[in-house]
Amino acid sequence: MISVRGVRKAFGSATVLDGIDLDVHSGEVVSILGSSGSGKSTLIRCMNGLEKLDGGRITIDDFDVSRPKELSEARKRSATVFQLFNLYPHMTAVQNIALAPVEVLKIPRKQAEADARTLLDSVGLSARADAFPAQLSGGQRQRVGICRALAMKPRYLLLDEITSALDPEMTSDVLAILAKLAHDGTTMVFVTHEIEFARTISSRIVFLDKGQLVVDLPTAEFFAADGGMAKPRIAQFLSKMRKD
Amino acid sequence: MRYTAFTSYDIILLAQGLSVSLALFLATTIIGLFIGSLWAVIRFYRIPVLAQVVAVIAEVLKNSPVLVQLFLVFFGLPAFAKINVTPVEAAVITLSGNTAAFVYVIAVSAIESIGRDQIEAARVFGLSRWQVLRRIIAPQAMAFAIGPLTGLLVNQLQVTSLISVIGVVDLTKIGNILNLRTLKPFIVWAVVGGLYYVMAKLVAFGGAKLEKRLRAHTAWKGL
Repeated sequence: MISVRGVRKAFGSATVLDGIDLDVHSGEVVSILGSSGSGKSTLIRCMNGLEKLDGGRITIDDFDVSRPKELSEARKRSATVFQLFNLYPHMTAVQNIALAPVEVLKIPRKQAEADARTLLDSVGLSARADAFPAQLSGGQRQRVGICRALAMKPRYLLLDEITSALDPEMTSDVLAILAKLAHDGTTMVFVTHEIEFARTISSRIVFLDKGQLVVDLPTAEFFAADGGMAKPRIAQFLSKMRKD
Repeated sequence: MRYTAFTSYDIILLAQGLSVSLALFLATTIIGLFIGSLWAVIRFYRIPVLAQVVAVIAEVLKNSPVLVQLFLVFFGLPAFAKINVTPVEAAVITLSGNTAAFVYVIAVSAIESIGRDQIEAARVFGLSRWQVLRRIIAPQAMAFAIGPLTGLLVNQLQVTSLISVIGVVDLTKIGNILNLRTLKPFIVWAVVGGLYYVMAKLVAFGGAKLEKRLRAHTAWKGL
């Protein structure tokens, strides 16, 4: 379980996260919605230990990400897919995927690369396995990014606006992969602006506004609330996103 | 009567001078690359005290004339530290330090040109600092740095000619000896200059080949 308790984070005088409480259980797909600057990406960066907390506590399977000795264990259980891919440009797709399994999980290189090719095949990229990131399209890069995360066989997948840099066609390719992962029972925390997709695959929706968690509801309940009982801020957000 | 004609022995002398210059260049390049890169890593990881110390040393070395540094080492070490150094030792210390200072500057900018997002990604996947340095930073920093480094090494090759003033019998010193004996400066210095030119072109050629290999991953192939 990922447990977020009373998390606070500020950059200078700007408070980005203000007392966030959230639990993500095994098998759940939790989508985090909210407008730009609401703290969604910062929350993901706090979960994977990239940002130091100013208050509160985050644990992944009881390993505290704020404690250096426990962070590596927490990171072995979770993997992140980034908005701008963050691939290593000097390595081919296969090498990008196999790097962490070889270096961190100590899997023999040949086996790690064979596993990487299998993963690339599963996302339709077997023909591009030996291409460098600069030779791939945005959608292909993001699929490599997803494979890189899956290669670590994580219990939790953290996805930070992974379709925001892609065109609609590439977005649908990537979302199809996520839908399959969700169907297979992969636990995911999914920061997104893809409202309809979040509605389709999520078990729960969390809505952040100005660094505060406004609601944490089962998906059906969240969208039903849009009908008039919704908190005005959520209704406004959903209406705007649908217009966009 | 003064004997001013060239002899076949002059070719051996030139070859000896050339080998001394080359050996000093290679030795000081290897030492300078190692020390300069190490300083850059110290700076990258912001190791307290050491980072400030290397910054000051590099600043002094790259902003003072090599000849002055050479004199300070050759005459200063025996005078102030009671350490006697041979001309070759003084040349190795000075040129290595000077090369290291410029390698440091190049390596720092090469490391800083690597996107932090990649380093973050590697850390998130559990790679240690050492693994990040070895697998992510070093290969890319080398690709970024190889162009400026090649330029630096071509320059440092020419700088080796300064060591003749403290008595190292390098290519320039041999040129001086031949010039004084033959009284044919245009021929002697043209040959010596030509040899430096060939060495410099070989360094530049090697650098360009290495750069092409290290940057094979970039899509950018120029206009």
